[in-house]
Amino acid sequence: MTGSIEVRGLSRTFHTTVRRPGFAGALRSLVNPERVAKHAVSDVTFDVAQGELLALLGPNGAGKSTTIKMLTGILTPTSGTARVAGVVPYEERERNARNIGAVFGQRTQLWWDLPVRESFAILRDIYEVPKAEHAARLKEFDELLELSSFWDTRVRHLSLGQRVRCDLAAALLHDPPVVFLDEPTIGMDVVVKEQVREFLRHQVAERGRTVLLTTHDMTEVERLAERVVLINHGRLVLDGALDEIRRRFGSTWQLRATLADPHTEVAGLPGVVVVRREGRQVVFGPEGPGAEALSVHQALKLVIERYELAGIAIDEADLEDVMRAAYAQAEAAL
Amino acid sequence: MTVLPPAWRVGRVTPLGELHTPPRMTAALLRLAVQIVLVASLWHGLYAAAGTTAGLDRDQAVSYAVLAVLASRLREIDQYAARDTVIQHMHFGTIVYWYLRPMPPQRYYALRALGEQLYGLAWSLAGYLVCLAAGVVQPPASAAVAGVFALSMLFGQWVLYYVMLVIDQLCFWTLRNGAALLILIFAQNLLSGVYAPLWFFPDWFITLSSFLPFQATLSVPLSLYVGRIPLSDAAFQLSVQAGWIVVLALFTRFLWRRAARRVISQGG
Repeated sequence: MTGSIEVRGLSRTFHTTVRRPGFAGALRSLVNPERVAKHAVSDVTFDVAQGELLALLGPNGAGKSTTIKMLTGILTPTSGTARVAGVVPYEERERNARNIGAVFGQRTQLWWDLPVRESFAILRDIYEVPKAEHAARLKEFDELLELSSFWDTRVRHLSLGQRVRCDLAAALLHDPPVVFLDEPTIGMDVVVKEQVREFLRHQVAERGRTVLLTTHDMTEVERLAERVVLINHGRLVLDGALDEIRRRFGSTWQLRATLADPHTEVAGLPGVVVVRREGRQVVFGPEGPGAEALSVHQALKLVIERYELAGIAIDEADLEDVMRAAYAQAEAAL
Repeated sequence: MTVLPPAWRVGRVTPLGELHTPPRMTAALLRLAVQIVLVASLWHGLYAAAGTTAGLDRDQAVSYAVLAVLASRLREIDQYAARDTVIQHMHFGTIVYWYLRPMPPQRYYALRALGEQLYGLAWSLAGYLVCLAAGVVQPPASAAVAGVFALSMLFGQWVLYYVMLVIDQLCFWTLRNGAALLILIFAQNLLSGVYAPLWFFPDWFITLSSFLPFQATLSVPLSLYVGRIPLSDAAFQLSVQAGWIVVLALFTRFLWRRAARRVISQGG
């Protein structure tokens, strides 16, 4: 069985009642409700190969969670198809459940009143995992996530970081080839975040699991994903390798130069413009947007060759800027 | 030999949770003891100047009332504190996990309820034996009465399970079931005879309640136990209870199917 994900023209439309404003509006909505169709996901197509970690990105309300819920079998699409590890998830929900693990942000699947280990044992029974296999897997997860120091504690007494680590372990106890993570590290401190990232890297690299991750944390994307899919307003707007996306949208560098002589006349160079000047401080930026723009290294060479400088600093766009540029371009295209 | 699938152990969740929370067990014990003392005292007081009322003598009335208190313990576990009610799962969005496991939500719910009722049964049985030894409750008139009572109690709890399930399933549509639950608890206590045996109510009220499932939950088995319903009527009463089980089973099955379509919009 392969752990790949295939999504073809997936769409989901919700029908909701319009709530009109004010008292009269509320009364009218009650007597004469107006139903509207909301296209949460429209014609989304992408693939995730076995052993690949794909980051599914997009602003709040973009359709990421709805997409994940269709792929986990909770929700049936209005149109289109999806196959997860060879199974159509919304047609064979129980069979699909054996192939997938899922963590939905801070929502825990553990039993609040029981020690964590009891929750693990209940999941072992539900998934019918042999006891020896369960014990071996727990040992492995303990080495990576340091669970044993708190797995005899009741879930209600765990910190957020401890609970999410337990939820990650719980989602993988039955050894699923495909894992869905919907903002798994939200609200966690940096140390635990790094531990979770290491765990995920291990699951992908060593265990060959396919991971579909949604997050708003660009550091997470940088550290974990090689490929991203960007959706906005329910539509897929970008699907590509992280490096390629950086090339297309990441040319928002700035060079902050300090002139050796404050009286030097400064003008633009081919592909480079002067963004602003304050005395000896000059800020240069790229002339064209996106892929046509000069790289920061080419610009640096030009500036150093042309002017005598006392100092220079480079401000390269981080992934957050890159994504902002990508969203903006996608927004303009819609 | 048929071996139960390991998933039956889902039924251990409630007993385990309770055993890990001794203060809740102490509170339950105290509440049960106080309720039994008060109810027994009340009915002794009410019968001080009366012989037989509504077809029940004092011993029958006290036995009925105390058994009603003990039986209410069967499904009175504090699931809310354990964050394991359907309404809480809907509120926190954790209901999605019920649909992500290789076990249908209805089976999970049923196993949880079964574990809960067996745990409650242990409490009720212990309380019953203490009350029996103390002479607060009269023993059943015969082995046949005891057997019919046990069967009728089983059917009654089965009906109660479905009634509670309908209230929980409401959450898939309303997100809140507080009002429905309050109405249900009041109706259940009133119409099943927990507050007072149904025999004390006017005839029209008894007729009206016979069209609802509540009296099948408690009034019928307890009336069989104290002899207010004779053994000769037992077959009819048991068949009415069985009828409610079938009707409610079909209805809740239909609701489960409809509820699956509501998981996202409400619990997303």
